[in-house]
Amino acid sequence: MPECETPLWPCAMTGAAACLAGFEGISVVIHGSSGCYYYPATLLHAPLHGTFILENEAIFGSGDRLREVIGDLSGRGGRIAVITTCVPSVLGEDIKAMLDGTDVILVDSPGFSGELETGYQAALAVLAPETDPERPGVNIDGVSLSDPFYEGNVREVSRLLHRAGVPVGTVFCRDWSEMAGHAAPLTMGTNDDFASGVGKYLGGTLGIPALRATFQNLATVREGADADPVLAELDLQEERVIHACDKFLRRYDPPGAAIFAGTAYALFAADTLKRYLDAEILLVGTRNDPPLSAAPYTVEKVTGLEQVARKIAERSPDLIIGSSFERSLGGDRAFVGIIPPLRGRVRLAQPPLAGTGGTLHFVENVLNSCMDKKT
Amino acid sequence: MTTHVRDAITVVHGPQGCTHHNFSLLHATSLDNDRIALPTLVSTGLSETDVVFGGEGALDRTLDLVIARSPGAVFVLSTCIVETIGDDVGMVCGSRSGVPVIMVPTAGFLGGSFQAGVNNALTALAGMAQPAEGNGRVNIIGEKNLEYEIDENFAEVSRLLALLGLFVNIRFVHDLATDNIASLGAARLNVLRDPSLIPVGEYLKERFGTPYIPAYPVGITGPVAFLESVAGACDIDSRRAVDEEQALRRETLDDFADLAGAGISFAPLTPDPEGSRAAQDIAQALRLDITPSGCPVPVPVTPPIGITGVRRLLHRWRRALHA
Repeated sequence: MPECETPLWPCAMTGAAACLAGFEGISVVIHGSSGCYYYPATLLHAPLHGTFILENEAIFGSGDRLREVIGDLSGRGGRIAVITTCVPSVLGEDIKAMLDGTDVILVDSPGFSGELETGYQAALAVLAPETDPERPGVNIDGVSLSDPFYEGNVREVSRLLHRAGVPVGTVFCRDWSEMAGHAAPLTMGTNDDFASGVGKYLGGTLGIPALRATFQNLATVREGADADPVLAELDLQEERVIHACDKFLRRYDPPGAAIFAGTAYALFAADTLKRYLDAEILLVGTRNDPPLSAAPYTVEKVTGLEQVARKIAERSPDLIIGSSFERSLGGDRAFVGIIPPLRGRVRLAQPPLAGTGGTLHFVENVLNSCMDKKT
Repeated sequence: MTTHVRDAITVVHGPQGCTHHNFSLLHATSLDNDRIALPTLVSTGLSETDVVFGGEGALDRTLDLVIARSPGAVFVLSTCIVETIGDDVGMVCGSRSGVPVIMVPTAGFLGGSFQAGVNNALTALAGMAQPAEGNGRVNIIGEKNLEYEIDENFAEVSRLLALLGLFVNIRFVHDLATDNIASLGAARLNVLRDPSLIPVGEYLKERFGTPYIPAYPVGITGPVAFLESVAGACDIDSRRAVDEEQALRRETLDDFADLAGAGISFAPLTPDPEGSRAAQDIAQALRLDITPSGCPVPVPVTPPIGITGVRRLLHRWRRALHA
């Protein structure tokens, strides 16, 4: 990993915590310093525990401290998961052996091992989720506590499944822990950057075209699923989006947009802006590894603040999609936030980005933001 | 602290995640305080290979990059992992010339507490200043740059100093340029943000001979005591300033006299005993009844600064009582 000016994406340890803390019934312990505990605790807004190791533990071993914390948490019901941070990971202690005889999940996910998604997948791999052929419903996938839209996404996709007469299976990763081992055989995605790979994938729910294909797919493969109410809703709501965007285009030129996000959300934003506003997509900068091809867009990995600043200066977009980092760099340009952090604004509601509601929320924010800057 | 030196670059020697954690927190705080400028934090981006074979090379490469941009100074912050693997950060920093490259020992839990990091940074930065001719002004030392009310608290202390005819020299360290640090030793008095900075106050006293006041004025009784202490340290007559401040205190209590007799309780219980004492003083001054069954009113984690801070707290108490 090369030196990086002001990295904009969290580390693997935070990703592992985002995955495990999403499961009710798992007590997550960050085995490391108070600093390593504090960041995921503030980002994820989930109860986490820490070993808060000090110099003594680094010198004489951290086993006693880890066992002490696990002892305190034992007997409260549920399982305990331990995530190792950088220092315990290099101390050379056999943490697995320390935990022998206990029902503790151990995830070695130090910050230097990679970024958010790496840690999320490492934790999922340890959980080893399985499908249960008898479980009815469809799993909702791609849910991460680090995503400011995860709650809205779960609610929105649950609503759509309900309209199709299909119950919700396991939500990865926001469910009871025992549900991970009894997932439904079918899965629908929300944010594919956090795809679990569990069950047969029906498709995503970002954007109306994807939703249409996914629910048609559902009706084909699952007996008793009635996609018609959802497809009718999609037609109706898409018409509203088209009407609003047409009205905008009667007075204004399409925006030139620079998009900075995880790959899944970035491509959703690009497709939506292109489809309804004929926007010029000047740049898609992804925080994580981009796909090999994302035609017709120019996609590149952009992970540092100065890199973002340079791209904005070079491309001079009218509209910036990203996080509050990008908003701070964008000056007076129109801005819509879709990835963390979204600081400096009061956020109380939990809107989605997935589902019909997600597209409506995204497009209305784009239009309002662009119009606010034009008037 | 180091990111508040505008023309300097801060290098965090560790994995990218450590830098992101800090940057994200600083970003959030900056936005809360209406500051648009983002701090420059550069990570050495330690990889698994660096952790195994040593990270001094990564630090060296990063210093090459940042020094090429001719910053006023470069501050190098160490992290837990580089301390554990034994990188000699001081040696790498010491091998540089031209631009000042200053190592700040902040090796996460191996470097001590959060406050130890603050004190280490202030001491390292103070090392850039030399004794200077006095300018009669007052330094503000160690403001809490992550504090939501930082500028309001600074304004309140400035107001009190102005009552005594004193003006602020530099805010050490809050939004200043490297060159400004040179005047650190010119002040006649240092006002510390809170007593945890006394080691820094002592260091500055020894280095520049500057006396210090150990803390901002807290609660309803703090401002007058603060005025008297500052006046004593600067050999100024404080009587007029004290009269004005006591009049403001009476006016504030009159404005909230409608709360008298109400039953209150403090929730959540503050971890800061000084904050708890300040809240009790305010309640007594307003003749509020502190009782476990009283209406829970907020007590801030850090106590209110000066009468202005007390007024804002009382608005929140009134809101709670009327809810």
